[in-house]
Amino acid sequence: MRARVALLAAWLAALAVLAAFALHSLRIGTDLRSFMPPPRTPDQKLLMEQIGEGPGTRLLLLSIDGPPEARLAGLSRGLVAKLRADARFEQAINGAFDASALDEKLLPYRWLLSPTLDAHALDADYLADQLGQRVEDLASPAATLLKPLLPRDPTLEVLALAQRWSPPKAPVVRDGVWFSSDGAALLLAQTRGAGFDPAAQGAAIDALDAAFRALPDAGAARLTISGPGWFTVLVNERTRGEADRIGLVSTLGFVLLLLLAYRSLPSLLLAGLPVLSGGLAGIAALALLFGSAHGITLAFGFTLLGVAQEYPIRLLSHRRAGEDALSSVRALWPLLATAIVSAAIAYLAFFASGVTGLQQLAVFTIAGLLAAGLSTRYLLPRVLPARFRDVADHAWLARAVHALDVLPRPRWLPWLLALLGLAVLWRAPGPMWENDLAALTPVPQELLLRDAKLRGELGAPDVRYLLVLHAADAEGVLAASESIEPRLDALVRQHVLDAAELPSRYLPSIATQRARQAKLPDRATLEQALAQAQAGADLPFRTGLFAPFVDDVETARTLEPLTPAAFAASPLGTRLATMLVAREDGWLGLATLSGVHDAAALAAFAESTHGAVRLLDLKAASESLVVAYRERILRALGLALVLLALTVVVALRSTRRAWHVLAPMSLATLLVIVVERASGLSLSLFHLVAVTLAAGLGLHYALFFERPVADPAEARRTLHATLVCVASALLVFGLQALSSLPVLRAIGLTVALGVGFHFCLSILMARARR
Amino acid sequence: MPARTPYTEVRFSGLLERPLILRGELEYLGPGRLGKRVDTPYREQTRVENGAASVQRGDRPARTFSLGQAPELEGFLRGFAALLGGDAATLAADFTLSASGDAHAWQLVLKPRDERLARRVGEIRVDGSERTPLCFVTREGDGDVAVLLVDRLAAAKLPARPSQPQLEAICRDGATP
Repeated sequence: MRARVALLAAWLAALAVLAAFALHSLRIGTDLRSFMPPPRTPDQKLLMEQIGEGPGTRLLLLSIDGPPEARLAGLSRGLVAKLRADARFEQAINGAFDASALDEKLLPYRWLLSPTLDAHALDADYLADQLGQRVEDLASPAATLLKPLLPRDPTLEVLALAQRWSPPKAPVVRDGVWFSSDGAALLLAQTRGAGFDPAAQGAAIDALDAAFRALPDAGAARLTISGPGWFTVLVNERTRGEADRIGLVSTLGFVLLLLLAYRSLPSLLLAGLPVLSGGLAGIAALALLFGSAHGITLAFGFTLLGVAQEYPIRLLSHRRAGEDALSSVRALWPLLATAIVSAAIAYLAFFASGVTGLQQLAVFTIAGLLAAGLSTRYLLPRVLPARFRDVADHAWLARAVHALDVLPRPRWLPWLLALLGLAVLWRAPGPMWENDLAALTPVPQELLLRDAKLRGELGAPDVRYLLVLHAADAEGVLAASESIEPRLDALVRQHVLDAAELPSRYLPSIATQRARQAKLPDRATLEQALAQAQAGADLPFRTGLFAPFVDDVETARTLEPLTPAAFAASPLGTRLATMLVAREDGWLGLATLSGVHDAAALAAFAESTHGAVRLLDLKAASESLVVAYRERILRALGLALVLLALTVVVALRSTRRAWHVLAPMSLATLLVIVVERASGLSLSLFHLVAVTLAAGLGLHYALFFERPVADPAEARRTLHATLVCVASALLVFGLQALSSLPVLRAIGLTVALGVGFHFCLSILMARARR
Repeated sequence: MPARTPYTEVRFSGLLERPLILRGELEYLGPGRLGKRVDTPYREQTRVENGAASVQRGDRPARTFSLGQAPELEGFLRGFAALLGGDAATLAADFTLSASGDAHAWQLVLKPRDERLARRVGEIRVDGSERTPLCFVTREGDGDVAVLLVDRLAAAKLPARPSQPQLEAICRDGATP
């Protein structure tokens, strides 16, 4: 008794140490990209960056409504000021004219940046027209705004640039800020964190909410957030919330089931220890070998580790009256070891896949299964209470075994099922595979509609499409961007898209800047043109008023053209930096598009540039990554199956016996897929993982049923153990199958179906005849 | 004051060598809303409403810009519209008022309460008679002065290059028939 308590204490202490180590040293990644296969081509690399870090995916769309407009405008200004001071946000804009966009030092550059000189010369005619308009401006309500600008900038180049740099399809500005058509204040905020990183986005959104609530009169106002980052957080929370709720109910059910089966609370609690040990061992192995793991890898790993719950159940069911737990487990061990070792060997195939996520999955699962198996063998029997009830004594179990024994088992039935299954599979409706990972964690339709509406009002860039310009250097990219500008403008007029934001909108190429520079008149010419304009149009301006203007033009004539590096220091430089990316093989320009109506026409346009411009479809490209990922999983699974078969043959030392074990397992797996496909489901990665778990469980059923036993009591114990396993798996995964979330439903339904098929077919095909 | 009135506006600005003289029609469109038409020396139609001003010149498309870019400006226009509309409550909310004279010839001096507005607009002086304002003199923060003659003063004869004292005399005398 004392030895038992000491051992239990030591075990628990070891688990605590393991848990502390695992929690301390394993970093859990939440960025979807670390779960994806490593990018190989430059294109895939770009895609991986853009999926999370493209300017479009980091954009949050905000609207504030409730109070009257004047207060909304105040809230909008207050929120933007706070977000601009927050390091989690790269920029926040609400439509207010930002005079600091072009800082003082860059002011003379306005002649090189603005397209004005492309169409006009700074001659007497042009100046007369412009100055005439300024006279009119002086008498208009705009006068107080424009007066300070006039001496230095009588042609209002600064305003022309501000207009060029505001979003291409900006919402209406009222009270100084953007408003939607239904009277809500609109804002855009760009996070620093990646768009599909729930942790980073969660932190940014919490900060956003807090900043809004802290505004002086936020009271009755309502802040609405949308965009990829928000959806990431939302979906993450919903999935976790529902998984937790289902997990709680199914854990309760599982506990009740085991209490019913073994009538012993201590046994029940102790039976949980092997799986706990397995999970912690798996995490510790990950921490040692990788240092970090993706959240999805862990979720998959814990799903696959569900197999290990069978080990203690087998031990509890197979305890024999008059014998201690240790000798019971010794009798059971060869078979259990076969199951554990064959599964572990099969998962080695994942390790060879070359995908970090799958390797982590393999390490976690193998370490977990071994730890759970070994603790069931060497620790659990030594701490189990000595008093128990031999389940072979149940009368109903004897009747059940008898019923199974007399059940007709036609040999042709499995073949018929296999043939029918293949036929159904061949004719099944819908696509075989689901490549859109987002389809498994869908965003509610009304939220998508709201997002589309906000996106349309704000003219915010499309998340899906991106134009990519490629050239040897930044100058080449900017030149290419300038050259396609007129063609894109034509496409906008043809309603192919609403707007495109090209890097050259912010910074023209050096060549263009030089061409504009060459058109600037020298001081004498300009002064003469000014005098001529004043006299010709009889303008009332004071003589010498425009001296700062003349000085600026003179300065601009000898400026070194602006480069992206020199521009980077200005507030707009950060904007440009996300659009100009250096690569090993040159430079890339990224143009965001908004309101894409005709993707085919855009693709045709890109095609016609002979590779200078490409249309990147992030959705299609990410789906191709999923396909690549799935192909690797399938290959790994195929290899795993071969390894598993070999291990089982070697362990049983008989191909005939191995066939009895492997055939029902394979057929059941086929039937699960057949049923799901026949009901129109497309298979995803999550289905594949679930099928693998079910197959692992099925292997146990078949192995134990196949075992020849002379003792009828032992046959009853085998049936009892299997029934408890099946019932608990059906309970846990059946509940998950009822979930409203496709991802949980996919796993739950697949495992529950699988357990059912594996159980029935094991009885039909594996159970030893007596 | 009627909903419409002709006006003559004379602007003195540090940017200009000689004052700018505009003639046209003002229209009071309701609280916070104002229309201003310029007939000479060029044609222009301005509307101020919902915190935005839209300006249309000749055949060119209207340009709209927000007064919120300079929120103080809105206070000024609100006060101006309130004056034209006889909305004393709005007026007192935005300006401190001091009155002098009698019902036949009164003068009202408005100073903005809002600090930012005060930096742009020093004061507005209104001369009027009975229930009718006749002359608005706005002193802007940068020293520019705008004199707006309305109602019967809109037709006052002006020299080609009027000076500020001349105009102020017209305002004073206009109110004493």
